[in-house]
Amino acid sequence: MGDIILDVRNQKTAFVTARGMAQAVDGVSFTLERGRTLGVVGESGSGKSVLSRSIMRLLPSNALVPADSRVILNGRDLTRMTETELRRLRGPEVAIIFQDPMTSLNPVLTIGRQITEVLTFHMGLKRRAARDRAIELLRAVGLPQPDVRVDQYPHQLSGGMRQRVAIAIAIACEPDLLIADEPTTALDVTVQAEILDLLQRMVRDRNMAMILITHDMGVVAGRCDDVAVMYAGRIVEKAPVRDLFHHTRMPYTAALLASIPKITDPPHRKLDAIEGRPPDIINPPPGCPFAPRCLRADAGCDAEKPVLAGTSRHQWACLNPLGEEAPA
Amino acid sequence: MADVTSSTQRDATQRPEIDRNAIAIALHRRSRRFGLFFWIPMVWLIVVAVACIFAPFWGLPPADEIDWVYIQSPPVEGHPLGTDNLGRDLLSRIVWGGRVSLTVGFAAPFIGVGLGLILGLIAGYYRGWADEVIGILIDAWLAIPGLVILLLFSVVFGGSLFMVCVSLGLLFIPTAARITRAATLNYATREFVLAAKAMGASDIRILRKEVFPNIIWPLIAFVLIDIPIAIVVEGSLSFLGLSVKAPTPSWGGIIAEGREVLSTSPHIAMVPTVVMFLTVLSFNLVGDAIRRRLADVREGAI
Amino acid sequence: MRYLLYRLRRLAIVLGVVTFITFLLVNVLPGDVAYEMAGMDSSEEEVQAIREDLGLDRPVLLRYAEWVGGVFVGDWGTSYINQENVWEAITDRFPVSFELMLLAQIIALSLAIPAGVASAFRPNGRADRIIGSLAFASVSMPSFMTAILLIFIFALGFGWLPATGYEPISEGLWANLRPMILPALSLALVEWTVLMRTLRAEMIAVLQENYIALARAKGMSNMRILLVHALRPSSFSMITLLGLQVARLLGGTIIIEQIFGIPGVGRLLIHAVYTRDFIVIQGCVTFFALAFVTANFLVDIAYAWLDPRVRTGGAHG
Ligand SMILES: Nc1ncnc2c1ncn2[C@@H]1O[C@H](COP(=O)(O)OP(=O)(O)OP(=O)(O)O)[C@@H](O)[C@H]1O
Ligand SMILES: [Mg+2]
Repeated sequence: MGDIILDVRNQKTAFVTARGMAQAVDGVSFTLERGRTLGVVGESGSGKSVLSRSIMRLLPSNALVPADSRVILNGRDLTRMTETELRRLRGPEVAIIFQDPMTSLNPVLTIGRQITEVLTFHMGLKRRAARDRAIELLRAVGLPQPDVRVDQYPHQLSGGMRQRVAIAIAIACEPDLLIADEPTTALDVTVQAEILDLLQRMVRDRNMAMILITHDMGVVAGRCDDVAVMYAGRIVEKAPVRDLFHHTRMPYTAALLASIPKITDPPHRKLDAIEGRPPDIINPPPGCPFAPRCLRADAGCDAEKPVLAGTSRHQWACLNPLGEEAPA
Repeated sequence: MADVTSSTQRDATQRPEIDRNAIAIALHRRSRRFGLFFWIPMVWLIVVAVACIFAPFWGLPPADEIDWVYIQSPPVEGHPLGTDNLGRDLLSRIVWGGRVSLTVGFAAPFIGVGLGLILGLIAGYYRGWADEVIGILIDAWLAIPGLVILLLFSVVFGGSLFMVCVSLGLLFIPTAARITRAATLNYATREFVLAAKAMGASDIRILRKEVFPNIIWPLIAFVLIDIPIAIVVEGSLSFLGLSVKAPTPSWGGIIAEGREVLSTSPHIAMVPTVVMFLTVLSFNLVGDAIRRRLADVREGAI
Repeated sequence: MRYLLYRLRRLAIVLGVVTFITFLLVNVLPGDVAYEMAGMDSSEEEVQAIREDLGLDRPVLLRYAEWVGGVFVGDWGTSYINQENVWEAITDRFPVSFELMLLAQIIALSLAIPAGVASAFRPNGRADRIIGSLAFASVSMPSFMTAILLIFIFALGFGWLPATGYEPISEGLWANLRPMILPALSLALVEWTVLMRTLRAEMIAVLQENYIALARAKGMSNMRILLVHALRPSSFSMITLLGLQVARLLGGTIIIEQIFGIPGVGRLLIHAVYTRDFIVIQGCVTFFALAFVTANFLVDIAYAWLDPRVRTGGAHG
C-alpha cells in the first residue's frame, strides 16, 4: 500500500430544494494513493460534480452534509476545519479544474492576475517573481507565447487555451490532489486528447493524485488506474481499470461500456444511450436505483437496496451481478 | 449544476436529519406567505383609506376654516393635532390632503399604464414605422426629467386634480409601453397567434384574446410599484406649489407650509411627513408582497 | 460604425422632438409672458404691443425654426423678464447644480456599493434583510422629506450645518462643501437604493458563476472574491443606471435647490416657470436633455473601461 492522500468515508450531500431533499451524493467511500488516478464515471446528474465539490468543501448554502461524513486529506479531516483553515489548503493541497473553460475564468481579470493571485496568497511570492512563475507555468502547460498571453483576457483565448490556463492555475501551488471535473467535455476531439495527455503528464511528473471525472468510458480506459462508477449519488462498481473492463459485474457499467463507440463500428452508428432516465433523487425508488432500467432486475431488486460488496480490489453493488450465472 | 455561492455548510453539518423533505418544503413555503410585513402596512393603508374616503363624516372642522383663537398651536381641545400657521386644523387638512394623494396615487398609474399599453401594443404588433415613431417619442420623453415635464404641464394646464392625475400618468407611459412592446413582440410571433391570424381573426381580436392576457400580469405588478411613486411625485409637486390649487390641502403642500415655521412649530411639518412616509412605505411593502406572490402563482410554485 | 451612425441620428431626432414639444407647450401657456411684463393693470393694447415687440404674434413654427437656428450659433435667446442671455444664465449656474449632483452621486455610490455587496453575499441573510428594510424606508422618503428631516436634525437640532445658502468655491473648499452636504445627502438618500438593488441583483447572479467557484477553489478569501472577482463584472447594470439616473437627479435638484436656496439651474427653471419666462424654460429643458444624452454617452465609455471584451474589441475563439 502506498501513501494514502485522500480518504473519503460515507460522504453524503443533500440539497434543500422547493420540492424536497435532493440526495445528490449518497454514502460514497474510497481512498486514493499518491501517483494514482481515479476515474469517476456516470451519467449526467449522477452526482460527480457534487462529489468533487464535497471533497473540496465548496458547497452552496442549501447543501446539507451529515456529521458522520468524513473527508481526510493528507491525514487531516477537512470536515472538522474552519473556513480559514480550508482556504489555506485549497491550492497547495487540493485543486480543481472545472468542466467548462469558457466560464471558469474571470472575464475582467487578465490571465496573469488569475494565476499570480494564487502564488502571492499561498506561496508568498512577490509580484515580479509571481509573474515570472506564471509565465513559466503557462509555458509548462503548452500555451504558445506565454509572455504575451499573460497580459491578455480570457476572451482573447480559445477554449483549449483557456483550459490550459485553468490547468496552470490548478498546478500553480503543486497540489497533492488534483480534481479534474470533466476537463474536456466542452472541447473538440483533437484538443481533448491533448489536454488529457497534458494532465496525465503533470500528474506523473509531479507525483500527484488525480480524480478524473468524466461520463466517457473511453477516456477512462487509457488514462486511469482505478475506476469508480457512479449512479444516483452512489458508487455502484469500483475496480482497477482492467478488471472493470474485463470482468464487469454491474449491469449499469456494462451498459456504459456498450455506449463507447468502437473503431470497428460502421461510421455514423447511433450510440447506444442507456434506455430510460436516471431516478428522481428527491424521491428515489426503495430498491436498487437502477432496477427500473435494468434488464436483469427481478422482484428482489425492487425491494432491497444493494450495498457495495466483493473483494477489496473489485467491488460492486448489485443483487444479480454479471458473470455469476449458472454455467450454461 | 452545483452552484457554489457560499461555503457555510458548517452549521448545516450539525443539523439532525429529521423528516427532512417536509421541513425543506415548509421552509420554502413560509418565505412566500403573507407575513407581518404585509398585514401591518395593510391595516395602516385601510385606516388611511377609510379616514380619507369618509372625510366629510368625521365631524372635523373644514380644512380651510381659520380658528382665530388658535393660530399655529400645538394639540389642544378641538384640534387633536394642533393648527397650522393660519389657524387651520391640522388633522382635517391631513385627512383632506390624503384624498388628493390617494386619488392621484391610484389614478395616475392606471392612466399611464393604460396609455402605455396601447402604445406598446401598437409598436409591438405592427412594428415598422409605428414602432419607430413611438420609440422616438419614448426616448424623447425619457430625456426630460419627469419633474420638468410635470412643471411644464402644471403651468400650461393649471392645477386641477384631473390634470395632475393625467400629467403624472404620462410619466409612467415609457416603461409601461416598453414592457408591453417587448411582451407583444414575444407573443405576436408565437404559433398560436400566427394560427389565429391564419384563421382570419381580426387584429383587435388577436390582441385582446391572445396577447393581452399574457401581458396583463407584468403590468399589474408595474401598477403596484407605481402607486407609491405617484404619491411621492405628487407630494414633490405640491411641495413646489404646482399641484392642486392653493386652498385645497395636499400633503406636500402642508409640509411646505410647515417648513416655514420648522424652528418654532416643527409638528406642522413633521406630522404630515410621518403620515406620508408611513403610507408610501406601506404601499411599497404591500405591493412587494403581492408582486412576489403573483410571480409565484404564475410560476406554479404554489 | 453603422450602428453608431444610427444611434447618432436617433439622438438628433430625439433632441429635435424634445425641443419642439417643449416649444409647443410653452407657447400655449395661457398666461403668456406679455401679461407678466405689462404688469397687473395694463390694457389689452399694451399687452398686444409687447407681444408684437417680442415677435410673439408670429406663427409658432417660424419662431421654432429661428430659435433652433440661434441655438446652432450659440444664441439661446434672452430672458424676457430680466434681459439675461439664456446661455450665460444656464452656464453660470450649471457648475453649482453639477457639483450638487456629483456629490449626491458620490455619496449614493459609497452607500450603494458596500450595501449591495454585503446583501448579495448572503441573500436573505441578516445583513441582506437589514439593508433591504433600510432601502424600503429610504425609497419611501422623497427627497423633499429627507431634506426637511435633515434640516430639522442637523441644522435646527444640532446646529452643525447650515440650513440654506451657498458659498462659491473661491471662499475655500470647506466653506463651499459645508452647505452642500445636506442637499447632496437629501438626493443621495433616495438614489442609493436603486443603485444598491441593481448591484445586489446582478452580483447574486455573478456569484453563481463558475469563475467565482474557481476563485473559491483557489483559496481566495470572501472579501477578495467579492471585491476583486465579483464586483467589476456585477456593476454593468449599475453603471447603465447611473446614466439613466441623471434625468432623475436633474429633477431632484430642482426641489433641493429650491429648499436649500442653492443658485443652480433648477432654481433658474423654477423661477422661469413661476414668471412664465418661456425662452428660459425652453433653454433649461434643452440643456437638461443635452446633459442627459451626454451622461449616457459617458456611460458607454465607462463600460469599455469596465469590460475588457469591449475594450480590446472583438472576441477570439
Ligand atoms: N445547488 C443545488 N441545488 C439543488 N440540487 C443540486 C444542486 N447542485 C446539484 N444538484 C443536483 O445534484 C444532482 C447531481 O448533480 P451533479 O452536478 O453532481 O451531476 P454530474 O454527475 O456532475 O452531471 P454532469 O455530467 O452533467 O456534470 C443533480 O440532480 C442536480 O440537480
Ligand atoms: Mg458535472
